[in-house]
Order: sequence, then structure tokens, then C-alpha cells
Amino acid sequence: MPETATEQRQGAAEDRLRAHVETLERRLRKRDEQRRAMLHIMGDLSEFNKRLANQRKAMLHVLADYEKDRRRLARQTERLDSSRRALLHILQDSHQDKLRLEASRKAMIHIMGDLRETTAEMQRREQELRDKQEQLVQAGKLATLGELTTGVAHELNNPLNNIGLFVGNAVDLIELAVTEKEQIVGELHHAMQQVSKATEIISHLRTFGRAAPVSREPTSLREVIERALSLMREQLRLRDIEVTVDLGAEDPVVVGNAIQLEQVFINLLTNARDAVAESPRKQIRISAAAGGGAVEVTLVDSGHGIPPGLERRIFDPFFTTKQVGKGTGLGLSITYGIINEHGGTISVESPPGEGATFLIHLPLAPADAQEAAP
Amino acid sequence: MTTTMSVLIVDDDPALLQALPQALRLRMGGVTVETADSAAAALERIAVQDYDAVVTDIKMPGMDGLALLAEIRTRRPDTPTLIITGHGENELVVRALRGGACDFIQKPIDRGYFVAALYRAIRAHAVHRKMKERQLALESCAEELERLVQKLERPPRAVPGKAES
Repeated sequence: MPETATEQRQGAAEDRLRAHVETLERRLRKRDEQRRAMLHIMGDLSEFNKRLANQRKAMLHVLADYEKDRRRLARQTERLDSSRRALLHILQDSHQDKLRLEASRKAMIHIMGDLRETTAEMQRREQELRDKQEQLVQAGKLATLGELTTGVAHELNNPLNNIGLFVGNAVDLIELAVTEKEQIVGELHHAMQQVSKATEIISHLRTFGRAAPVSREPTSLREVIERALSLMREQLRLRDIEVTVDLGAEDPVVVGNAIQLEQVFINLLTNARDAVAESPRKQIRISAAAGGGAVEVTLVDSGHGIPPGLERRIFDPFFTTKQVGKGTGLGLSITYGIINEHGGTISVESPPGEGATFLIHLPLAPADAQEAAP
Repeated sequence: MTTTMSVLIVDDDPALLQALPQALRLRMGGVTVETADSAAAALERIAVQDYDAVVTDIKMPGMDGLALLAEIRTRRPDTPTLIITGHGENELVVRALRGGACDFIQKPIDRGYFVAALYRAIRAHAVHRKMKERQLALESCAEELERLVQKLERPPRAVPGKAES
């Protein structure tokens, strides 16, 4: 048995060795596995690291952006702050404004109260003014009449004188027992003519001066101008004033008051009469042209004209360039008022070195009223 | 007055030129009345005829009565001129009288007054004319007389030397 023992021992040692190898092999495998695992982990780690680096870079960008944003925010905050302060000021101001407004509102209420009183007063005054204006119209007519009186007295004196003479002649003829009846009748007939001449003047003056309600009707402008001229003719003739009237072929008809319109032309003619008094050539020219639903009447005199700068003022009431006692200063202002009431306009032109030109613009009567004119 | 009188009436009113001459014809016997409707026409008439009197209105277009009066005073200083004025025109009356008008008549014309004034003017004119004629005759007589006296006185004065010694 040695051999067997040795063999046994050998076998045991072999077994132990085999076991040991196996263990070692196992360990080796395990190590290998661990290494491989480690390698794996290392790879992962490297990957992770790379990703981390990328993230860091990204983070840096974000940080830079963030910094920019922060700065922008800081600036905005600053701006906001100043806005806030401004707003505070504004608020304070607005508060004061509100206080002031409140005070104003209270004052306003007072003013409104006053205004109501004033309005009532105004209305009363307006009524008064209207009354006064009506009186003024009448006064104006009388003023025009007053300016006419001297001329008219002369005009009346002539027919009266002639009547006296004709009737006296008739009386003489009868006393002388003249048998020819025709001669006596002739004298009386002449006297009658003079009577109607005087009556015409008187009745014209009476119509003109009457305080009649102002009616409006279709009125022939030609007739108006002729009637005004008939009152003025004697005065103009005696002063050697040449009057030419050119109203064209047609007869313009306007809606208005014949007496008032007549007054307009009497005033303008009186004015022109005085304006040409010192002129070498004494001329007054009246012309009219109708067209476009209106008529344009022009009155030109050969007088000394209107001093520059006074063209506006001559239509003012009581403005006169005539000497004290020579003019009332009402004529042209009344004229202006009348033309205005008739929906027209009147203006004056006075080029230096020439006479004055008065321009009257009046709307024509509607076509159906044209026929109705007397 | 036996001779016919001639009167010129100047006015611009045709009715008056009809009425007034008729009144004169009826009230004054033997009167010739002529009329002129303007001062210019009156001057033409005056140039060819010597009227016994001129009657003119003051207010006339163109040349007025006062201007006509002045013209008559230079052209025919002897012709009496009467002026017709409106009532109450005293200033014009004074101017007319200062300008040599013989008289004035106010309108409305009183025919009796007018005829009387006209008669007076014509008579005064006639008297004046007669007086002037007599004066002229007298003057020529006086001259004749003077000449005769001189003729009679001449011989003794012809030799002054003798008279001295």
C-alpha cells in the first residue's frame, strides 16, 4: 500500500489543486467579469462626463443670457421706478387739479345762476332794442324828410305862386268884363294843373313819412328810383347836377317795401348831391344790371370821394363828414339797415381822385312774383 | 307914361312864364312882355334890345339870377333889374340889393305889389334917363356958352403985353 497511499495522496493533492485551479479560474473569470463591468462603467462614465461638459457649456450660455436678462431687468426696474415717481407726481397734480376743478364747479354754478339772470335781462334789453330800432326807422325817415324839406319847400312854393298868379289873372279878366270865356277857363285850367302838381308832392311826402307797418310785396325797382328822383329832381336841377339813369331794357322786380327802398335812393341821392357840390362836373349816374337771381344797382357820383379808411365807417350811425347841422349821420346807416333787411348788401368804393361808387346787391323776386308787381 | 314899355321876365319855370306876363298885360296898359327861360337866353335878348326893366328869378340852373344881375349891370348899367326870391330868403335879397338890384319881389308874388314895384322902377328909370338927357343937353349948352365967351374975350387977351403996361 504505499503506492495506493501515495496514489491516494497524489489524487488528493491533484484534487485539491484542481479545486484550487478551479477556484482561481473562477476568481479569474469573476475578475474578468468585474473588469469588463468596470470598463462598461468607465465607458458610461466617460459618456456621462461628456454630457456633463456639454451641459456645463449650455449652462454657461444660459448664464450669459441670464446675465443679459438681469441687466435688462435692472434697467427696466430703473425705468419703472422713474415712471412710478412721475406717476406719483401726476397723481399729486391730479389731486390738486381735482380740488381746483371742484372749486371751479362751484364757481360755475354761481356763474350759471348769474347767467340765467343776465339772459333774462338780455332778452328784456333785446325787446327794448327792437322797439328802439322801430323808432329809429321812423326817426330815420323823418331825418331823410328833414334833409329834403328845404328843397321841397321851394318846390311847393313854385306851384303855389303860379296858382296865385293864374287865379289872379282869371279874377282880373272877370273884373275887366272880358267876354271870351275861353281865356278865363284857360287861366283856371293852368291853375288846376299847378294844384295837382303841388298835391302830388304833398301826397308823396305823406306816404313817405307815415309810420305804416312795413309790408313786403313785389316792387318795381324802376318805379322806386323814379319816385325818389321825382322828390329830388328840383334840388338836383337847381344845383346843375346832371342825373343819368340807365336801368337797362328789363324792369327788375324785388320783394320789398317800396317806401323803404325809396328812402334808400333818397338817402344816396342826398349824399351824392352834397358830394358833388364843389365839383366842376356835377354828375350822378344810376345803373342797374339783373342776372343770376339778383340785381346790382350802381350809383356813381363825380364828387370828391371818401377819404381812405372811412369806407367802413360811413355806414355807422351818427358818423358824418359833413359840418355840424348839415347832416344827421343817419342816412347811410339807415340805408345799410334797409338793404340788409331786404336780404341784400351795400358797399362803397372810392378810388383816390374819383367820386364814390355805391353798389347795391338785391335778390330778385321769384319768377311768379315778377308778374304781380304793380 | 304914354310910350309902350318893354319888360323881360327870366325864369326857368314854364308855368310862371305863362302866368306872370298875362298878369302884367292885364294890369299894366301898354306893356310888351318878353320871356327867357334861362340867364343865357336873357343875355342874348338884352344884347339886341334895351328893355325898360328886367325881372329875374334867383334860383335857376346854370347861371343864376345874381350872376345875371351882375352881367346886366356891366352890359346895360341903366336897365333896372328886379329880383324874384323865395319867401324868407333874406340873405339872397340883401346880396341882390347890394349887387345893384332895383327891387325884390317875394314868392308867392303879390300882383299889386309886383306891378307897383315894376312901375316905380320903370318910372325911376325913365326919370333917370330924361334927367341924363337934360344933363347932356345942359352940358352941351354950357360948352357952347363957354366957347362964345372965349370968342368974345379973345381980342383984348390977344396982346398981353399991352395989358401989362
